[in-house]
Formats: sequence, C-alpha cells, structure tokens
Amino acid sequence: MRMKTSRFGAFYLSLFFVILYLPVLGVILYSFNASPSTAQWTGFTLDWYRVLFEDRVIAASFRISMEVAVITSIVSAIIGTASAVVAMRATAGMKRAIQGVMILPLLIPEVALGIALLVFFNSLNLPFGHFTLVASHSLFCVPYVYIMVQLRLKEIDRSILESARDLGATRWQATKTIILPLVMPSIVTASLLALAMSLDDVIISTYMSGPKTTTLPVHIFSMMRVGVTPKVNALCTLILVGMFFVVGLSQLFTKKIHKEDM
Amino acid sequence: MQTLKRNILAVPILVWLGLFVGIPLVFVFVLSFLSRDSLGTIVFQFTWENWQRVFDPIYLRVFRNSLLLAFLTGLVTIVVGYPVAYITSNLEPKKRALSIGLIMLPFWISSLLRTYGWMILLGNAGIINNVLRALGIIDKPLPMMYKFGTTLVGTAYMLIPFAIVAIFNSVDKLDRSLLEASYDLGANKRQTFFNITLPLTLPGIAGGFTLVFIPALGLFYVSDLLGGGNTIFLGNMINTQVTRGRNRPLAAAFSIAMIAVVLLVISIYGRIAKDDAEGLFL
Repeated sequence: MRMKTSRFGAFYLSLFFVILYLPVLGVILYSFNASPSTAQWTGFTLDWYRVLFEDRVIAASFRISMEVAVITSIVSAIIGTASAVVAMRATAGMKRAIQGVMILPLLIPEVALGIALLVFFNSLNLPFGHFTLVASHSLFCVPYVYIMVQLRLKEIDRSILESARDLGATRWQATKTIILPLVMPSIVTASLLALAMSLDDVIISTYMSGPKTTTLPVHIFSMMRVGVTPKVNALCTLILVGMFFVVGLSQLFTKKIHKEDM
Repeated sequence: MQTLKRNILAVPILVWLGLFVGIPLVFVFVLSFLSRDSLGTIVFQFTWENWQRVFDPIYLRVFRNSLLLAFLTGLVTIVVGYPVAYITSNLEPKKRALSIGLIMLPFWISSLLRTYGWMILLGNAGIINNVLRALGIIDKPLPMMYKFGTTLVGTAYMLIPFAIVAIFNSVDKLDRSLLEASYDLGANKRQTFFNITLPLTLPGIAGGFTLVFIPALGLFYVSDLLGGGNTIFLGNMINTQVTRGRNRPLAAAFSIAMIAVVLLVISIYGRIAKDDAEGLFL
C-alpha cells in the first residue's frame, strides 16, 4: 500500500530541495557578477573566468589533482573489484575478514587517518607527492568500489557460473567472460565516484601533498579562507560543470550496457 | 587445500589494508606517548604529557564542543531527513526516481563548493542579508557567520544525504501491510507512526546517525570557513597542531581519543540496530 503524498509532504520535499540547492546556485550566480563583492549585482561578466584561466598556480594544482584522481580511480577500480570477486569465492570467515578491513578506512575520521598516514610515510622517509596522494585516496575509494561491485555480484545467478565451470572454463575464464561484463556498469560508476571523491578530498590531501604537489581542493581551501571572491565562484562552477559531465557520461554508459543486456 | 585455494587471493588485500591503515594507526598510537623537542622534532622518550593534556579542562572543552556539534548534526540530519526519506519512499515511481536523484546528486558536488555556498548566503554582504535589506526588513546586516550555529548548519548540510540514504533504505523495506493492519485495528496516523513505523525504522535512524556523527567529528574545513575559529573543534585543533603548532604527538593523542569516541558510537549503533559496523555500508 502506498499512501498518497499529502500536500504538506509535497511542500516539505520541495522546500528541502530548494534549500539543498540554494547554496550551489548562489555560488554559480555570483561567478557572473561584475562586482567583486556579493553586496550588489552590477551586471553580467565572464571576467572572473578569464582571470581564472590566466592563473598558473591553479592550472598546476588542477593538473596534479587530475593526475592523482585518474590514477586513484583506476587503482581503486582494480583493487575494489578484485576484492569483491575474491570475497565472493572465499570462505565465510575470510569474507567477513575482508569486509571488516574494507570498511575500516570509512569508520576512521579523515583527520585521524590523515595524521596516521602522515606519521607513517614520514617515518619511511617517503617523499610526499603523487604516490602518497594516490595511496591515501585509494584507501577511502576502494571500499566504495568494493561495496558497489559486491552489491551487483550478489544479484548474479550462481548457476551461470557453475555451468561455465561444468563446461570446462577455468576460474579465471569464468571471471573474465561472465562476471566482469556483468559487473562492468557498477565498476564504471564506482570508479567515476572514486574520481569525484579523489578530486574533492581536502582533509587527507592537506597532509599528503608535497611542497610542489598541492592539490586543487587544498589550494581552493586556502583561497576560501581569505574570504569570498568571484574567482573562487568561477572555479567552483567549472568544477561543478566538469563533474556533472562525468555523471552524465556514467549515466549514459550504464543505460547503454543495460540495453545491451536486454 | 580447497579452503586455502579459495582464500589465498584474499591475502594481498588484507596485507594492503594492514600496511596502509593498520600500521599507521599503531604508529599514531605509539607517537601519542612520545616527546618532542623545541623545534617539533619527535624524541623517542616516553611521556604521559600528551594524554594529560587531552584530559586537561581546557582541551576537554574542545572535546565537548566537538561531541556537541557531532551529536546535534546527527539529530538535525535525522529530524530533517526522516520526512524526506519517508515522503520519497511513498512517491509514485517517476517522482520517486527524481527525488532519489536529487538526494544523491550532492555526493558529486564539491564539498568545498557546498560550504562556500553558505558563505555566499549567510555573509554580511550575502544573499540573505541583501534580500532582507531590499525588502526593508533590516537596515544593518544580520550577523550570521562565524557562530557555532553556522558550523552546525554547514556540517548538517554536508552530511544530510548520508542520513537520508540510510533512513530511506530502512523505510523502503518496511512491510506496508503492517501499517494497513494497524489502521484496520483502529489506530490513527500518529499512533501508527510512533508504534510501528518509527520502531521498525530505528536501525536506519541509528545507521544514519552514525554515518553522520563520525565525519562530523573531523570536518575541519567547514568549521574553519563557517565558524571562523570562534569555537574550537577537535578537527581544527588536530589540524592546527600538525600544520602550525608542530606538535604531532599531541595531535596523535587527540586522534586516538577521537577514534575511541567513534568506536563507542559504533558499539551503541550495534546495540540499537542489532548489527555490526558492516551493516552501515553493506
């Protein structure tokens, strides 16, 4: 039985979404304001975007963030998917062990995990940079890939796998030809989410960046600390557009795969 | 032999996470008992000093601030988010999908942007003050930034999707015939909600609360940008000690204390939801 949504319910939900998206719209709107202050609207301009493109420091940190995010999402997709497949085949006890350690990074507040990694890498004398960033970002990205892939794995009909094995397929062949294609949409969505999370991380990156490898969010955070400037608005808007492009792409991809399924 | 074959591939995964999570945690724990010299270099000499400072009344206040913020964030996100999850689960399929999409979309929007958005809204020259002034309701800008409440709004806003998703999963699983039975037996809407719906969705509420509470303890950039450092929270305190104070052992002690709080909250969650921590995600 579904209850009809009351008028009040519809109103509440709409109000909630207005408040949810109002701050985001505010940021976008004021990126086009000619005045450097939000106090007044003095006309439409694209100047702040031009200023942005001339900023070398932002370009450099954007590049670092992209490199780290792409590598992180690939690494996370591989480790996360492998873990989910391994957990599916492992004994019940081992499966519990894998799941237990898998969610560990999600349960530790990021500051605490960040400090722990800082101390660890420091004592190993590892230089802070791409490696430390990717290694640390993977820690909170892999669990999400694992969760999304194993949700999909649960839905797979075990009898298909059994018949493949009966027909003489090796474990690896069965994985490659049956499991991987079936979970591919989940892997794609999950690795895009990993990309987004890596590109967005402020806390852990604060401790993992080296002197020449400041990531974009760490740089934006230091800009925001100074106060509101339309340049930050423009930058945030561009990131938002880029991210929505990625989400759209993943939606398209998932739909296409689903069509092929049928 | 068969068991070994099935489990052998799990070893690299356990080693990887052990190496990058387990060992670093042991390192921080050990560090919390070490000293440092005047330059901030760590000295391998045992001390209780860092832990004594954690329990110093001045620092206990930082703890209290953080616990209060995390608790209130959990409370606000549940109270505001519950109706959102409940209404969404009762919508017709098309609207329901749209609503779910709108709830999940913020996960893809930069968290700095979402925090910054509140600076644009609440600042003295911000949108809300501009509108109120234009309407002639106020002459002087209403000071809304850099308060405890500002940080609370920002933190709750950042984390509410987690709460809604957790509650939604549990509301959606609710057996609706139970509600019908309750109505048939003469209970009104209010009675049905408090006696059936709420107790049955309690695991979702506990899960949502936990998923919000944990990150709320450490989101230092939200309190930095919106709270302006007027109230000091654990996250800011740890961050400052590492980046500026150069007192890593103290930061380590606070981090371990923070993790202890998390473990406590998770065990409470386990009792309420009759589930272990994995139930939060899987």
